[in-house]
Amino acid sequence: MYRWLALSSSADLIQLEAHISSEYNPKGVAESLCDGISDAVKGVLIEEDYIDKDYRSTYYNFYAKKGQRYRPDCVRIHFFDETVSFEAKMLRLSCPDRLADHYFGYMVLRPTGVSTIGRSLVSPDVRRGARGFIISADHKVHLLGYKLKVQGFPSMDQHNDISVCAHVACWSILRHYSERFSLYREFYTYDITLMAQEFDPGGLVPSRGLQLSHAERVFQEAGTFPVHITRDGPTDVSFFRQIGAYVESCFPLFAAMYAEEHAIAVIGMERSLASPASTSGPRFAWDMIDSLTVIDDNELPYLSIPVKKGTSMYAAEDIDAFIVPLPEKVFYPADAVERLAPTLFMLGALVGLPPKDETIIRYFITTGSTLRGFMRERQSEFDPKLLETVMLLPFAQFVWVVEFATDEQWRTGQIAARAVIDATASLREVLPLWLFHSRTQALVFDRQKVGLDLSAGMRTMTLSGMENTALTRMEQNLRPIRAK
Amino acid sequence: MTEEQKKAANKDTGVFAQIDGLQPVDPAALEQFKQTMTEKVIPEIVKVVEQRRVLAADSRRRHLKY
Repeated sequence: MYRWLALSSSADLIQLEAHISSEYNPKGVAESLCDGISDAVKGVLIEEDYIDKDYRSTYYNFYAKKGQRYRPDCVRIHFFDETVSFEAKMLRLSCPDRLADHYFGYMVLRPTGVSTIGRSLVSPDVRRGARGFIISADHKVHLLGYKLKVQGFPSMDQHNDISVCAHVACWSILRHYSERFSLYREFYTYDITLMAQEFDPGGLVPSRGLQLSHAERVFQEAGTFPVHITRDGPTDVSFFRQIGAYVESCFPLFAAMYAEEHAIAVIGMERSLASPASTSGPRFAWDMIDSLTVIDDNELPYLSIPVKKGTSMYAAEDIDAFIVPLPEKVFYPADAVERLAPTLFMLGALVGLPPKDETIIRYFITTGSTLRGFMRERQSEFDPKLLETVMLLPFAQFVWVVEFATDEQWRTGQIAARAVIDATASLREVLPLWLFHSRTQALVFDRQKVGLDLSAGMRTMTLSGMENTALTRMEQNLRPIRAK
Repeated sequence: MTEEQKKAANKDTGVFAQIDGLQPVDPAALEQFKQTMTEKVIPEIVKVVEQRRVLAADSRRRHLKY
């Protein structure tokens, strides 16, 4: 059964209550949507009898065992813009051009009475208050024979009984991984509750919550290599810089707030337009971040939280620990990059760097092939000798990239210099680099030799033709939110 | 050692042999960097990584429910 609701504004979403059975809590859902979804949504298609794999995993293993009867199927609601209409008799969606371009995603409603918002893939563009850039993947959607696509990050409410906030944060990150990287399989909600323990956590065990060790275990079981970073007191700026660095690297974070006993997934950020005041040392990209975008199972997706706590429920500064599920071959930790990067100013005379106090440092992880692709696309920015060098250096799969920019360059998306660090280096290496270059000079490293003899494993190269060209900041695949 | 043998001994091998326009770096220019890394930065990195390990051990027991 399919029903179409035409909306003049998001306030009309309150009509959902009249069309959806009460066990899906349509009133509560409609109220959330009225507050959180923008007026760009002009049409909603209600799809009944939808079989949702995540709900079914909890139905087979939990709800079907209860005295209260639960339905086995869900309702899915789809969001469209003003150009789309629905012909009920023909079950056809009409649109002047490509339907997929006018689709804002879907939300599954579970028949559980409370906390009914299940697996949801909603475009961040129609989330009121969402800002900045987010980690995202393309999610395929099959509806009435149409193949649609939505770019976003998975979210759901916690079930309260079979899963809590920490399960949802793990599920959300792992569902993103299964869509984004072919390496990882799909895990359903109930799989996550099983993966968290050494034993089958039947009964009410999942509802009692998780410890951070359990979340770490979930990510290990899923085939990732989780790194667990805990804040060392209120003045640990390095902790927050690492949050920024991993998000810029497109790795979502499982973040824990001890006082709130709450877990969220950090998936995006918003950069500030204003530069902070100069300091006696270099500033870091984190200093230029205004807010983080998170998936919180108590809210609609893409909640924007400020860095400093004000009137908001919580802020980035309330995060006490995070787990980043990394791929296997990242051995050199962010803590090491954080300390190595300012030390590279001591090689400034060989490379040509701006003054330390006027520099903003940004670091992130990428793959060697992404770096090569980035430089190939912008080959006019580089001396051909430098381009050739990057193509020939035998990078390991992952590299840390450190970029150095002045205030003016930062504002225009430019940099002064870039260092490429071997992400497989060991902690005690003096020069764990592949390459360090500015517009005029490059230092090239032979990783076979540099550990044994610094000068034998290092060469300099004079660059030409780059003095006045653009040297573009390497933005990864974060998706800009275009509020509609 | 003849001049030719000296040249052969100094000739780049490995990845450097494939890249044109490379020049050796004066070892003296690296001394201060090497000293700072060895005496200050690397011990600090090792210490902070160990601190993170200890802090994570405590953090693992923290409970998340809401």
